[in-house]
Amino acid sequence: MSVTLSEQDILKEKTEYTGVHPQKFALWIAMASMTMFFAALTSALLVKKGDYRSWENFRLPTVFLFSTITVISLSVCIHAALISYRKAKFVQFRWLMFFSFLLGCLFLALQLTGWNVMVHGGMTLTENLSGSFLYVITAAHGVHIIAGLVVMLVFLIHAVRNRKDPIYELRDIINPKRQLNLELLVSYWHYVDAVWVYLYVFFWLNYR
Amino acid sequence: METATAHATHHEHVHGHEEHHHEETFLTKYIFSQDHKMISKQFLITGIFWGIVGGLLSILFRLQLGWPNETFPFLETFLGKWAEGGKISQEFYYALVTMHGTILVFFVLTGGLSGTFANLLIPYQVGSRDMASPFINMLSYWFFLGAGVVMFFSFFIQTGPASGGWTAYPPINGLRDTSVNLGSGLGFDLWILGMTLFIISALLGGLNYIATVLNMRTKGMNMFRLPLTIWALMFTAVIGVLSFPALLAGCVLLEFDRLLDTSFYLNNIIINGNLLGYKGGSPILFQHLFWFLGHPEVYIIILPAMGLVSEVLSTQSRKPIFGYKAMIFSILAILVLSFIVWAHHMFVTGLNPNLGAVFTLFTLLIAIPSAIKVFNWIGTVWKGKVRLVTPALFAIGFVSMFITGGLTGIILGNSAIDIQLHDTMFVVAHFHIVMGVSAFFGMFAGVYHWFPRLYGRYMNETLGQIHFYITLIGAYAIFFPMHFMTGLPRRYYTYANFETFNNFNFLAEFISIAAIIVFAGQLIFVVNFFYSIFKGRKVAAEKTVDGHDYANPWGTTTLEWTSPIERLHGNWPGDIPTVHRWPYDYSVNGREFIPQDEPLKPGEVPHE
Repeated sequence: MSVTLSEQDILKEKTEYTGVHPQKFALWIAMASMTMFFAALTSALLVKKGDYRSWENFRLPTVFLFSTITVISLSVCIHAALISYRKAKFVQFRWLMFFSFLLGCLFLALQLTGWNVMVHGGMTLTENLSGSFLYVITAAHGVHIIAGLVVMLVFLIHAVRNRKDPIYELRDIINPKRQLNLELLVSYWHYVDAVWVYLYVFFWLNYR
Repeated sequence: METATAHATHHEHVHGHEEHHHEETFLTKYIFSQDHKMISKQFLITGIFWGIVGGLLSILFRLQLGWPNETFPFLETFLGKWAEGGKISQEFYYALVTMHGTILVFFVLTGGLSGTFANLLIPYQVGSRDMASPFINMLSYWFFLGAGVVMFFSFFIQTGPASGGWTAYPPINGLRDTSVNLGSGLGFDLWILGMTLFIISALLGGLNYIATVLNMRTKGMNMFRLPLTIWALMFTAVIGVLSFPALLAGCVLLEFDRLLDTSFYLNNIIINGNLLGYKGGSPILFQHLFWFLGHPEVYIIILPAMGLVSEVLSTQSRKPIFGYKAMIFSILAILVLSFIVWAHHMFVTGLNPNLGAVFTLFTLLIAIPSAIKVFNWIGTVWKGKVRLVTPALFAIGFVSMFITGGLTGIILGNSAIDIQLHDTMFVVAHFHIVMGVSAFFGMFAGVYHWFPRLYGRYMNETLGQIHFYITLIGAYAIFFPMHFMTGLPRRYYTYANFETFNNFNFLAEFISIAAIIVFAGQLIFVVNFFYSIFKGRKVAAEKTVDGHDYANPWGTTTLEWTSPIERLHGNWPGDIPTVHRWPYDYSVNGREFIPQDEPLKPGEVPHE
């Protein structure tokens, strides 16, 4: 009897109720969970801002606007990668994935620059609660970005390593496993990008 | 992953599962298993381990509470510097209380209970070969185990485990200074690390459970044909997935305060005459974040027990569950309400009394779905042909405990009364009965009832009944007298300096003796459990099809016994059964029970 019953085997038997792929559904639930995490942090910020008299407002570094533009471009780019994958344009797909990866790294660099600007403006981690919250929330979001980058990198390495193999990606069109993984990855990136847009707007409203 | 892909392609046209010929090694079968049944056993046995540890800790501090003036030289032998001269030290007493709470709330009654039964029952009862993602399911167990290893390790460091209470309140836990509190040093960092791993485990498990129930039901299994166990386990997972992140956020901020000197929870702290640099924080903020999980957490604990009890009571009393949909909507109501009552733990924090009134209102509203459920359980057993076997006894015990504990919940839910009773033994009595003991009863009912499904053998009935009566009488003996310790503050090391509390000395001693007896009683269960795995009476085959033996030991309608006695990977050797009816067709149409996969007779009107 088998041991490593693969996920494919389990999911093969579709039922009349399987409208959504269960793993996609699971990712949506994970998104709900992550939303609660950021909701908890941002509502904690609002509570403290309301009851702390020495809350020091500071101007949100402009560089965060650029990181917002970066994540939006990343979402566009990685979605284009998904589309080219579906159309079996694998060269284009690999380049778009590569650019997405670079954009992700650029985003992290911009976040670090933002922190740097804050430190030079005198708003260090422990200077005032207003700064502490911004550091912690951006760091928590950054961890989600790094997790996405790691998975993206693994995916990209597989794609590049097998670029000479004419049927590697093709086989995966027949076998939807890799396409599913890509779709999950893209959904995740759209989500963390959207979280940043929310956070940016939230900070922009609260720090001025 | 490469090989998995290849296999999947290879088996493209294969429908059944006999075609696999993978090598089964000890490692893949017992350790890195992705099979929901094996993961369920892993959760259960890990949970039993933690149950013993958590229980043992309570016996240690009961020794101190029951006999504050005695010394127990054997304690020094085992605990060394924590019990010099045979008397548990103050620091260690608080560590014991803290870890007792943490272990039992999270590791036994959340991980052990939800983890075991969600893994066992969801795929079996919804008719699915495994979880939505068996790999993530395996990760869920491994994070759970990792969390446990970290927590256990913290017992063996120099400054001891966390000792600032299982609620982890700052400011005492916000400082790493061990001169303030020994357990707030490395011990508490390990607590945070352990809890973070635990939260990840709970989230990975939870999203799998929900996705499986909603997306992987077999043909014909619409939502209103799901057994109540599945409803309860799914709603439990929903609560966990939405509330655990708040605790994680709270812990992240707390660890920043501890390690990087931010001031989220700390403000103007003076230690040894020195004013520390923290400014602006508020410990109340942590309480909000903590209880936003902490209150839903009690429903994470009790809902699976409720689900198990509903199923066991209906099966063992050979009657359809009374008020099936009322049960579902009650759980749903509890789910919704559980998110808007957290501040009833905070009535004495200076909460605005008007806000307190709102939280009181919502808290008291929970009595309605709870009472509906109790009524329905009684209605289910009423005039049934109850088989008084161990699982049924524990299920009935659950209802008794839940009523007893629930009544004091109404008292404590009122902010005006709670302010008097806050942090007294009355509260300890209330939550131990309604959440601790009740959930244990539900869990025991589940273990005795589904043990044949897990291991293909029965647990010993005589030992089971002895275990039940010791636990029922003993649990009441422990917690009932606590209600009468009026005004006695909880978490105190000794009451010797308060003459007014001297008259409780007898009760304290009585409770301690009862606790020791009950703990010994649980060892009967442990022995029975492990003995039965290897030597228990085997489930006899009722029929054999294609070389697979089938049985239905309790005569249940649900799908788990349509699978062979042997625990097959993929659960069913052939096609997954199709469901034609609701799960509670007991004593209808002149039959004792009708399985869910039996088609309707011509002219038969389905229940729904």
